[in-house]
Amino acid sequence: MKISKEKFGQAFDALVAEYQIIAPVSDANGIAFKGVKSFSEVKQDYLNSKLPPKAFFFPQHEKLMSYKKEGKEVTVKSELKVENTVLFGIRPCDAKGMQLLDMVFKNDQYTDPYYFERRDKSVIIGVACNKIAPTCFCSSFGLSPAGSEGSDIFLIDLGDSYDVEVITEKGKALAARFEALSELSADEQALVDKIKDAVTLSKVDVSTTTSKLDKMFNNPYWDTLQEKCIGCNVCSFSCPTCHCFDISEEVRKNEGTRVRTWDACMAPLFTLHGSGHNPRDNKKARWRQRMMHKFNYFVHNNGSMSCVGCGRCIKGCPVNMDIRQVIDGANKAELVVE
Amino acid sequence: MQLNPYIPITMKLVKNLVETEDKLINTFTLEFLNQQDEENFKYMPGQFAELSAYGHGEAPFGIATSPTEPGILKFSVAKVGCVSNALHLMEEGTMVGVRGPMGNYYPLEKFKGKNVVIIGGGFAFTTLRSLAKYMLDDKHRGDYGDITVIYGARNPGLLLYKEELAEWENNPNINLITTIDRPAEGWTKHVGFIPSITEQIAPSSVDTYAVVCGPPAMIKFTLPVLEKLNFTPESIYTSLEMRMKCGLGICGRCNIGTEYVCKDGPVFSMAQLKELPNEY
Amino acid sequence: MSKIINDIRETARQLLAEGKVDVVIGYEKGSLPLKATPCFVHSSEGVDSLIWDETCENNLATYAAKTPGKKAIVAKGCDSRALAVLLQENQLVRDDLYIIGVSCHGVIDQRRIGAEVGEILEASISDGKISVKGMEGDKEYLFTEVKDATCRTCRYPNPVMEDLHIGDTIEVAQGAAAFADVEALENKSDNERQEYFKEQMSKCIRCYACRNACPLCYCQECFVDCNSPRWLTGGVNRAENLLFQAGRVMHLAGRCVDCGACSRACPQGVDIRALNRKMTKDVYVMYNHESGISEEGKPALNEYSANDPEQFLVKE
Repeated sequence: MKISKEKFGQAFDALVAEYQIIAPVSDANGIAFKGVKSFSEVKQDYLNSKLPPKAFFFPQHEKLMSYKKEGKEVTVKSELKVENTVLFGIRPCDAKGMQLLDMVFKNDQYTDPYYFERRDKSVIIGVACNKIAPTCFCSSFGLSPAGSEGSDIFLIDLGDSYDVEVITEKGKALAARFEALSELSADEQALVDKIKDAVTLSKVDVSTTTSKLDKMFNNPYWDTLQEKCIGCNVCSFSCPTCHCFDISEEVRKNEGTRVRTWDACMAPLFTLHGSGHNPRDNKKARWRQRMMHKFNYFVHNNGSMSCVGCGRCIKGCPVNMDIRQVIDGANKAELVVE
Repeated sequence: MQLNPYIPITMKLVKNLVETEDKLINTFTLEFLNQQDEENFKYMPGQFAELSAYGHGEAPFGIATSPTEPGILKFSVAKVGCVSNALHLMEEGTMVGVRGPMGNYYPLEKFKGKNVVIIGGGFAFTTLRSLAKYMLDDKHRGDYGDITVIYGARNPGLLLYKEELAEWENNPNINLITTIDRPAEGWTKHVGFIPSITEQIAPSSVDTYAVVCGPPAMIKFTLPVLEKLNFTPESIYTSLEMRMKCGLGICGRCNIGTEYVCKDGPVFSMAQLKELPNEY
Repeated sequence: MSKIINDIRETARQLLAEGKVDVVIGYEKGSLPLKATPCFVHSSEGVDSLIWDETCENNLATYAAKTPGKKAIVAKGCDSRALAVLLQENQLVRDDLYIIGVSCHGVIDQRRIGAEVGEILEASISDGKISVKGMEGDKEYLFTEVKDATCRTCRYPNPVMEDLHIGDTIEVAQGAAAFADVEALENKSDNERQEYFKEQMSKCIRCYACRNACPLCYCQECFVDCNSPRWLTGGVNRAENLLFQAGRVMHLAGRCVDCGACSRACPQGVDIRALNRKMTKDVYVMYNHESGISEEGKPALNEYSANDPEQFLVKE
C-alpha cells in the first residue's frame, strides 16, 4: 500500500500536536536527527545521519538523579519526563541497532528504566535506503538496505509517495492516522521489489568469525592490528550499538546531579581500578575487547552480532581503521595454540 | 514494579571506625532508615553494594555484614580514590546512598553438609567475614561441617575485625588460624605467608569447599597449594574485583569475556575462571 | 610508481634488513578513496605497501613516543616539527629515531570534496589534478583548490630535521609568518566571534580524536580525565566543550606545530585550528617563536628571558 507524500506530510504535521518528532535534517555538519515541527523540514534525500539516533534513547549526557545535602541530611530526587516520540527516517541498520541495544539495557536481572521509558514511548518509522554508500555493509549481517526489522512502520520512498508497511502493533496504531492508502501501480511495485532486492556492495564474510574468535584471545593478530589506532572514541560514539557509559557526579555547592555519559572501551581509564591495576591496560587488550564484544561475547550472550554494518566508524576514523578489514583479518589469522 | 536500580536508598552512617593501624581501612556501619528499605535489601554473603558519598560519587564495596545481623550493613573500605576518601572523612550521622545488593554470592546451598575452608588475605576479608558469620549463626551452623578460617595480613595491626577474631579463637564452632608475614612483638600465632601456612595446616579436601580471597599474588600462590591438597577447580571459589559503574551488567567495563563481574560474579569457581580469558 | 615511493621503500627495506630499526612507520593505501592510512612495517617483506602522496594526512609523530624500540618515521615538514618538540621535551631519544624526511606540497581536504560530490566512490590523482567519482556526481579538481587549509599557510613544507631526505625540497618564500585567517577572526566583533565559536563548539562530541591525533598531546592523564579534582564534567555542551578545547590550546601554547591533525581528525568538522592558530600567532608576535623549527631550543614557555613581554600579566 502507498500514501502520497502530500497526504503523508499532512498526517506527519498533525502528529506534532501529540508527539515529539525526530527526523533527519540537513545542517552545517551534514545530516542529523533533530526535532522537527513540520514535514517540510525533513531531509528526504539522505544516506544516513552522521551520528546514530541511539542518543534519543541513550543520550550522551543524561541525568540519573539529583540530590541536595543539608548538614548530614540528604534528599534524593529522580524524575524522568518523557514525551511520546516518533522517530522518522530511521535507516534499517539503525533500527536493527536499537533492537540490539534493547538486549543490553534489559538483561536477565535488570531493566534500565531511563532507556526503556524513552524506548517504550517511541514509534520508529523506518525508511529504506534507496542509495547505498560504499562504506555500507549491512548485508554482511543478514540485514538489508530495505530491511524492516526494528521499525514499527516501514516506508520505501517512491518519489512522490511512500510504500507503507506496518510492522508492529505500535506501528499499526500510528498508521491508522495515514488515511488515503492506495494500491501500488505495477511500476511502483517493480520499484519496491528492486529496492527490496538491493544488497550492499561491500560485504564481509562473518559466517565463521564468532567461532574463530573463540580461539583467538591470545592470538598474535591483536599485537599489530591496533598499532595505528590512536585510541579516540570516534568509533564508539558513532556506533549505533555501542552502549558503554560512565556514571559521575556534577556538584555545585551542596547540590549535585548524578549523570551518565557515553564512555568507550578504547579509553584507558575505562577499566582502571582504584588500586592502579588495569586489566585492559594496553591498546591491544582494548581492541581485542572491542572485536570480541561485538563479534563473540555479544553473540554468546545474546545470539546476535553487535554490528549492523552502518559504516560510520569506517567513515569517521581519523586513521582509517576499517572494521571490515579487521574482521577479515581475524577470519584469515593463523590460529596458534592457546 | 521493579524499583529504579540506579537510585540508592539512604542509610545513616552510625559508625566510622578506623579498622587498621595504618589508618587506611575504615569500617562503616550503616543503619537502615526504615523497615521497607531493609526488606528490599535482602542479601547473601558475597554480594556487594554501590556506596554513594554524595558530592563525590559512587563506588562498589563488598558487604562485610551477614544477613543474620539485622538493621545494619558494614563495609570495610581502603582509602584509594575519590569516593573512599570522602567516606573515610565522613562524620558519623551523615546520610549515604546505598544501591544493591548486587552480584551473586558464595554458593551456600552447595556448601551444605560440607566442610568449608575460608582463606583470606589483607582487607579482602570483608565478604569472607560475612560468609563465616552467616555459617556460624545458630540457625545455620548445623548445615555445615567443619569451618576453618585461615586469615593473614602483613602485620597484626592490619588484621580486620580484631575483636571478632578474638571471639572466634575461643569458639569451638570455628577453627581460626591467623598469620602475619613477619614476626612481630607480642604475636604468638602463625608467622608466614598464607600459601605456606595453608600448606602447613593442610586442610583436607575431602567433602570440602575452599573460598579464597586476597591480593592477586596471594591467590596465585595459594591455588597450587590447594591443588596439591587435591581441591578440584570446582571446589574452589573466589570473589573478583573490577572497576564498576552501574553494577547492573549494562555499562560495559567489568566483563571478563562473556561474564560481567557485577552481575554474573563477583563470585566465581576456579573451574569457571579457567573457561574465561585471563583478563582480570 | 613515483621515485619518492620507490626511495621510501628501499630506505625502509635497508633499515629493516640491516636491523637499524625495529619498525618503519609510514603510510599505506587506505580502504577508502583519497585516504592513506598509517602503516607499521616490521620486516623488509612488508615495505612494498608503503606509499607517498597527497593523501598522507596523518601526523606520524603521534606514534613516535608510544612505539617501543628503534623506529624510522616518514616525516613531512609538520611531522618533523612535532618530532623536534617531542625531542625538546625529552619525550624521545634521538638515537632511537630515524627520520625519513619528505617534502610535502600539502594534503587533500577530502571533507571539501565530499561536501560537493557526496560519498567518494573512486578517485585518482595525477599531475596535480584529482578526478573524483562521487555519489552525487563526478568532478575534477586542481590540487591547489582542495588543499587542506593548514597546508595553505604552511611555512615548513621541508622537514626541519631528518636523517635522510627523499625527493626534492620545496622552495619557500622568506618572510614573516602571515596570519590572515586569524586576523579575519580577530576583526570580527565580540558577538560575531562568540557566535562563531558557539556554533563550532556545539558540534563537538568530546570523542577526543583531536587530542589523540595530536602529536603533542601526550599527557599520561589528560586534564579532562582527571577526577580529583574534576576540571570539567562529562557534559557535552558548548560551555564544557569550549573549556576542553580552550584548555587543550593553552596546553599547546608555544608547542603547537600547526599541523592541522586535530582538525582533520575531527569527525564533526569543528574548526579546532581556529583556536590553535590564534595561540600560534600570539606566541609568534610576543616571543618571535615558532615551535619545533629546529632540534635545539625549547618551547616558548619553557624558556625565560628578562625581555619577555608580559602584557598578559600586567596591563601597561
